[in-house]
Amino acid sequence: MNVLSCSINTLKGLYDISGVEVGQHFYWQIGGFQVHGQVLITSWVVIAILLGSATIAVRNPQTIPTGGQNFFEYVLEFIRDVSKTQIGEEYGPWVPFIGTMFLFIFVSNWSGALLPWKIIQLPHGELAAPTNDINTTVALALLTSVAYFYAGLTKKGLGYFGKYIQPTPILLPINILEDFTKPLSLSFRLFGNILADELVVVVLVSLVPLVVPIPVMLLGLFTSGIQALIFATLAAAYIGESMEGHH
Amino acid sequence: MKNVTDSFVSLGHWPSAGSFGFNTDILATNPINLSVVLGVLIFFGKGVDLLDNRKQRILNTIRNSEELRGGAIEQLEKARSRLRKVETEAEQFRVNGYSEIEREKLTLINSTYKTLEQLENYKNETIQFEQQRAINQVRQRVFQQALRGALGTLNSCLNNELHLRTISANIGMLGTIKEITD
Repeated sequence: MNVLSCSINTLKGLYDISGVEVGQHFYWQIGGFQVHGQVLITSWVVIAILLGSATIAVRNPQTIPTGGQNFFEYVLEFIRDVSKTQIGEEYGPWVPFIGTMFLFIFVSNWSGALLPWKIIQLPHGELAAPTNDINTTVALALLTSVAYFYAGLTKKGLGYFGKYIQPTPILLPINILEDFTKPLSLSFRLFGNILADELVVVVLVSLVPLVVPIPVMLLGLFTSGIQALIFATLAAAYIGESMEGHH
Repeated sequence: MKNVTDSFVSLGHWPSAGSFGFNTDILATNPINLSVVLGVLIFFGKGVDLLDNRKQRILNTIRNSEELRGGAIEQLEKARSRLRKVETEAEQFRVNGYSEIEREKLTLINSTYKTLEQLENYKNETIQFEQQRAINQVRQRVFQQALRGALGTLNSCLNNELHLRTISANIGMLGTIKEITD
């Protein structure tokens, strides 16, 4: 009897160790919708980090930038550079959009990789990077779709739809399909990468809690930065593509 | 055996869900690895001096601009002083030119005056000369008229007796003249 309970305990323990929570959500009921509360909480934290640091950085601007101001100017320059390379000469109005995308995704990803979210315990599910949830990435990808449609329509009016039959009308179905695959690929790429990163780290931590996960975590930092850059670059590229004149 | 498994279980123990709270399990919440990762990040982030480079670049740009500005101001100053010099020279030239013109005018007026005077003199001389000639002519004419009248008178009323009387009177007159002259 004793031996049995002992072995049951052992099994339970082993199960607990390898029990990684996926698909567990902390649901909030808002107006008939079930929302993922943990994602909202981490998003708010990310937004607060971004707004707070930006406010602190630009509070006392100097001619010769130092510290935070220098850093934020560098980030802005980087974003402008990305937008300029992808969109072209008329990149100016799109810098805020691209910058928002890049900064939000980047800080989200890195918050998942750097902040000890798991210290805070939720009734259900657990806190992680907001981009760890498909809803966030789909929202971002749909915003990108709306943005590139808006960019094309304001630039060329209804003539924008001429690009669907651009090389030949035979490609019409593929061109229409592209409008669906773009947000799909954007959202799935980001979601998959971040979820995979975090899962690998969680699994490794549950198996070997110390030292071993560190290289993977560093790799996760690298890939999440790259993913943010890819998302921003692709969004800018789509906007640029819909704005460029056809010859 | 039980102790070992218990410790093993507690090692992987997940606090049961249900309410908000803090997970105090150091191994599960993973702060050690996170701090190591953060430390590595900060260490290598410090090594990359993008921001320092940027600051240095901005400083250099500002310094260059200052230098260029200084140079430009200097050049402007130089150009201004040259302009001033040229202006004064132009002023001098203008003044000189005016005085030259004034002098020229005066000399011209003077020479014209002289010419005019000379012409006046010529005119006066000519007038005098003409006058003189006219007077002479008149005189001559009057003289001829008188002579002709006298000759007529003489021819009409000269007879021998008168002739002789005249001659004798003249001889007498000449004689007295001779006496006087002697």
